[in-house]
Amino acid sequence: MRGMYIEKTYGELVTQIEQLKLLLSEAQETIEAIRRGEVDAFIVKNNNVPEVYTLKSSDQTYRIFIEKMTEGAVTISREGIILYCNTSFANMLDLPLTKVLGQSFENFIPDGYKDAVSRLIAIAWAEECKAEIILPGKNKNPIPVLLSLNTMEIAGGLAMSIIITDLSSQKNAQEELKQKNAQLEQAQLITKKMNDELEQTVRERTNELYKSREHFKFLADNIPAIVWTASPDGEMDYFNKRWYDFTGKDYVQVHKEFRLFIHPDETDAYQNLWNKAISTGTPFELVHRLKDGNLEYRWHFSQALPFRNDDNDIVAWFGISTDIDEQKRALEKKDEFISIASHELKTPVTSIKGYVQLLRYNFQQEGNSHAADLLTKADVQINKLTSLIGDLLDVSKIENGQLLYHEEKFDFNELVKEIIEETERVTKHPIKCELAATCTISGDRNKIGQVITNFIDNAGKYSPTGAVINIKTVNRKTSISLYVQDYGLGIPKDQQAKIFERFFRVNSEKENTYAGLGLGLYISAEIIKRHKGSIGVESEQGKGSIFNFELPII
Amino acid sequence: MKKIFIADDDPDILEILSLMLRMAGYQTQTSSNANDILKLADNLPDLILLDIWMSGTDGRDICRQLKENELTRNIPVVFLSANSRINEISKEYNARDFIAKPFEMDFLLKKVRTILSEATV
Repeated sequence: MRGMYIEKTYGELVTQIEQLKLLLSEAQETIEAIRRGEVDAFIVKNNNVPEVYTLKSSDQTYRIFIEKMTEGAVTISREGIILYCNTSFANMLDLPLTKVLGQSFENFIPDGYKDAVSRLIAIAWAEECKAEIILPGKNKNPIPVLLSLNTMEIAGGLAMSIIITDLSSQKNAQEELKQKNAQLEQAQLITKKMNDELEQTVRERTNELYKSREHFKFLADNIPAIVWTASPDGEMDYFNKRWYDFTGKDYVQVHKEFRLFIHPDETDAYQNLWNKAISTGTPFELVHRLKDGNLEYRWHFSQALPFRNDDNDIVAWFGISTDIDEQKRALEKKDEFISIASHELKTPVTSIKGYVQLLRYNFQQEGNSHAADLLTKADVQINKLTSLIGDLLDVSKIENGQLLYHEEKFDFNELVKEIIEETERVTKHPIKCELAATCTISGDRNKIGQVITNFIDNAGKYSPTGAVINIKTVNRKTSISLYVQDYGLGIPKDQQAKIFERFFRVNSEKENTYAGLGLGLYISAEIIKRHKGSIGVESEQGKGSIFNFELPII
Repeated sequence: MKKIFIADDDPDILEILSLMLRMAGYQTQTSSNANDILKLADNLPDLILLDIWMSGTDGRDICRQLKENELTRNIPVVFLSANSRINEISKEYNARDFIAKPFEMDFLLKKVRTILSEATV
């Protein structure tokens, strides 16, 4: 070693000193530059591998920033050697930093992308550019990444910075988004399909509804009656075409004004009954006249029924008014006919009865009691005939609600006694009578008498000759009841309810032996009903019957 | 002797009523034309039996005219009819009473007797 120094010439030594001075000067400059912050890093060739030594103090901010960013950051040299990389990049490759630094960047590029990346880098030296590639990540799982390439000046000249953005999550997000989009699209498709179906259903339903409405309209407008509806509070809200045809008015003029077309004589009855129906929810019924377009009244039969929902609340009223004018006029004609017929029938009966009574009187005067008795029998039959004619007329009047009642106040017992007296003259049955304290009744004396007569006649008719008839009254202070009991045929249970029906006759084998039209009890029931009383029967077949009625005491 | 005027378009009824009333001691005058009664200026009856439905005339009209006439106003009128509304008609036309056809002789005589005795009082 010593020999080496000795062997150097002075000139060599001077040169060496000069070189050392220069190196020292450079070193001093570098130190000065570092001090001034002009140098960030050194690239030092170490064992033929360049190494970058950065100066902590000067670039700490960037280092921290670069180290902490999730993107991979790599700087390569012209030769493609990795001069620097951050931890994120090493993590992406799942390699320690030491195995990455100083390596050729290309080594980490999968074969399929090598050419493309080489070209990209070549371009990037001239201008910045970007590209997406796949890098092998953990367990060789491919990671989609975005490469952003930029050139940068470093101390050693131009280097290239490459920012590697892991697109996995972005790709996943995109994939998710794509899936979500697909799902959304699917959902939209389903929705559209459902919408289409719904639309179709709505179209069909609308069509059905339209048809049904048309059907209803067709029905309502062509039904031979006035049809209307009303709200639960009774206000009319619909009329069919017939109403406007009938009144000859248009919608605006006659809507809701049904009442104004009713004959003044029936307006009050209409209002009362309609109000009652609305407040009680019971069906409405009235026979009344309606004024037509020619200001002529025609008889109508109006009915209305409430329509209820599942909660039993009335939601609407459905009404119908049927023109019964012709029927009404026909009935009037029938009534007139019956009235005339009854008069015409009674006229000869009056004459026969008159002559019979005169003859009987004469025979009585002459002492011919046998002849007088025969004429009494004839007179009884004439009375029966008269009563039958009367019944026919009464029934006809009841049917039309025209049976007139002459109301007066009278003593009930007096009437009963009078009837019994009259009946005793003609009946073959002993009458036993038990009357309670009398009372005053308000009503049609003749018609109530007719009911008592009918009870006694029936008792006699269905009893064996000579069987007693019991008549009893019970005074209950607010009402009086009359019972007529016979010991006759009796009425089967199943027929008892029907006995007050029109034309009903007790059904028995001997049916034809009992005279009558089957009108008496019907008329009686109607009369009692009109006096706000009740009528009834208790009977046992083979043992007899007890007919009764109860009337209120005024 | 009380005099009773009977108007009915049925001659049989006129005969029957006349016979019955005469037997009971009344004087009777019959007419099948009720208008005749309006022509009576003197010799007025004590009671008038008046049919309601007569051919050519209406008993109700006759009754009304009788009630309008000063002379005949107070003569009691009794309607005779087979009309079932006879009760109401009698009230409406101020008839004293009514007898429904066909009638019982006893009932007729009792009624006539009552009305005439009331009139006398």
